[in-house]
Amino acid sequence: MIDVVLGIETSCDETSAAVLIRDAQRIELASLVILSQDIHAVFGGVVPELASRAHVRTIGPVVRQALDIAGVSLGAIDAIAVTAGPGLVGSLLVGVCFAKALAATTNRALIGVHHLEGHVFAPTLQYPDCAPPFVALVVSGGHTLLLDVPDWGRYRVLGETRDDAAGEAFDKVAGLLGLGYPGGPAIESVAHRGTDRFDLPRPMRGDGFDFSFSGLKTAVLHAVRRSPDVARDQADLAASFQSAVFDVLTDKVDRAVERTGYATVVLGGGVACSRTLAKVMAGHLAGRVRVVVAEPRLNADNAAMIARAGWFHLERGERSDAYLDADPRLPWPGLERGPVLTHIGGPS
Amino acid sequence: MSLYLALDTATDLGSVAVGSPEGVLAELTFSDRRHAAALMPAIDEAMRLAGADWNAVSGIVVADGPGSFTGLRIGVATVKGILAVRDGLELRSVPSLLGLAWAIARVVPGPVAALYDALRGDVFAAVYDTDGTTVRECQAPTLLPAAELARRIPCRPVVAAGDGAVAHSAAVRSWTGRDPVGPPAGAPRASALVELLAVEGVTKRIDDIDAFEPTYGRRAAAQDRWEAKHGRPLPDPDGD
Repeated sequence: MIDVVLGIETSCDETSAAVLIRDAQRIELASLVILSQDIHAVFGGVVPELASRAHVRTIGPVVRQALDIAGVSLGAIDAIAVTAGPGLVGSLLVGVCFAKALAATTNRALIGVHHLEGHVFAPTLQYPDCAPPFVALVVSGGHTLLLDVPDWGRYRVLGETRDDAAGEAFDKVAGLLGLGYPGGPAIESVAHRGTDRFDLPRPMRGDGFDFSFSGLKTAVLHAVRRSPDVARDQADLAASFQSAVFDVLTDKVDRAVERTGYATVVLGGGVACSRTLAKVMAGHLAGRVRVVVAEPRLNADNAAMIARAGWFHLERGERSDAYLDADPRLPWPGLERGPVLTHIGGPS
Repeated sequence: MSLYLALDTATDLGSVAVGSPEGVLAELTFSDRRHAAALMPAIDEAMRLAGADWNAVSGIVVADGPGSFTGLRIGVATVKGILAVRDGLELRSVPSLLGLAWAIARVVPGPVAALYDALRGDVFAAVYDTDGTTVRECQAPTLLPAAELARRIPCRPVVAAGDGAVAHSAAVRSWTGRDPVGPPAGAPRASALVELLAVEGVTKRIDDIDAFEPTYGRRAAAQDRWEAKHGRPLPDPDGD
């Protein structure tokens, strides 16, 4: 019986630990600590070696703080769930090695978790009634993935990006506009002062389920070059770019809902921290489906979602052995690729 | 008997040992470059071979660098995970190049150069003269182009060992007059770290486990580039 799970996540530039505790039949979030490495802002992107070095310094205190807040000792933990991939290998290794040593020294169960599966599970920590079948959109700095989730543990790819991830496009465009890093929050914070007047393209809108953001980024670059006063146009360019991205995301999700017939849409990943995206998506799909978006700390890279996804696998009797390794290109267990099927007569 | 767990993951050849300065009970090496996968099972196996459980262990001694950044982090992150549970254990560190030199000096008398490949034509280098009970540091761990070994290191070793010696064999031959000693003979051995516990002043006690990190021997390249471009130091890398 699993009652207490410690989660550890170090796949990129956040060192995170969380404790989940079973309370009656519910899984409660007892603590979540996320330590972000601000240093990467001066580089305009994550520097892998600096991220790895920082994780070594912070992993111990972060895990200890998560245990302290939850009021549990290491001895009370039943299992340890850790992100095994995908991500930056040097960063992943710190969490994996720390978790393996904890598990071996305490003789507790260990489960390696796929980072993106964590993002799909994240909303259930806030909305325990959220359950498949649903359409999931996972959007972050490294991934843009549209999924048909007929059941926990089964994920059918409907569409994915053919070039830049959505979050990556935000980072690059924020750079073009002289805004900070990470780009998503930087663009959102000025976009609300601007208007969508630049008529930017909506790449691949109305065309299948895949995404492409590279051309949109180039369109912003041209608009910046044409602008006689970028400082003056900054808010309007930000608003125009953000609208273009969110229009495409909304359009694809809408098509996925139509194709699957599902009544629920789940948004996850760092880009889903955007209040604007949640509002646009909910407004567009209002009256047709329920749009579930967790609070930002559960959409950012965090250990709570890793513990929750790990809990699912642990309850199925799965365990990682002492040879668990970090894998920057870890295949997602349960991920299916193939032709997109039409669900006749509603949810399957 | 008070046992120590010793580990060295500074290079492609990882090594784990359990023992005390009076005698090493078990030693394992692994070489598949998957230290993250192999290290914890190797520790478990070394403990099993030594007939020891954690209650018999009083400390950990780790080769803290320089060497492979990734390899060093695997060792230190693992140590921190163990100490998060076994917080009564003493932690001591040894320069990784000293561990290698000590292992080589068991069979080759005279000053030994330990060289680890630092990529980009550079080596992490140190020279130690040891006699099985004492250590004389002829050259403290340093980073330099392999081509400048002979010119910049004041003492001449009788032999040079390590993956850096093998990667730059021509420079090593012209410096020492001998072929380099590479793995497996010229490989780090965790048993050397255990033996070094008995040598006065060469291991360092680590009291602040959280702040402990590898002695990388080189800054991140991105940091050097940033500082060269901006003409000022990078803001506090912890920035948290």
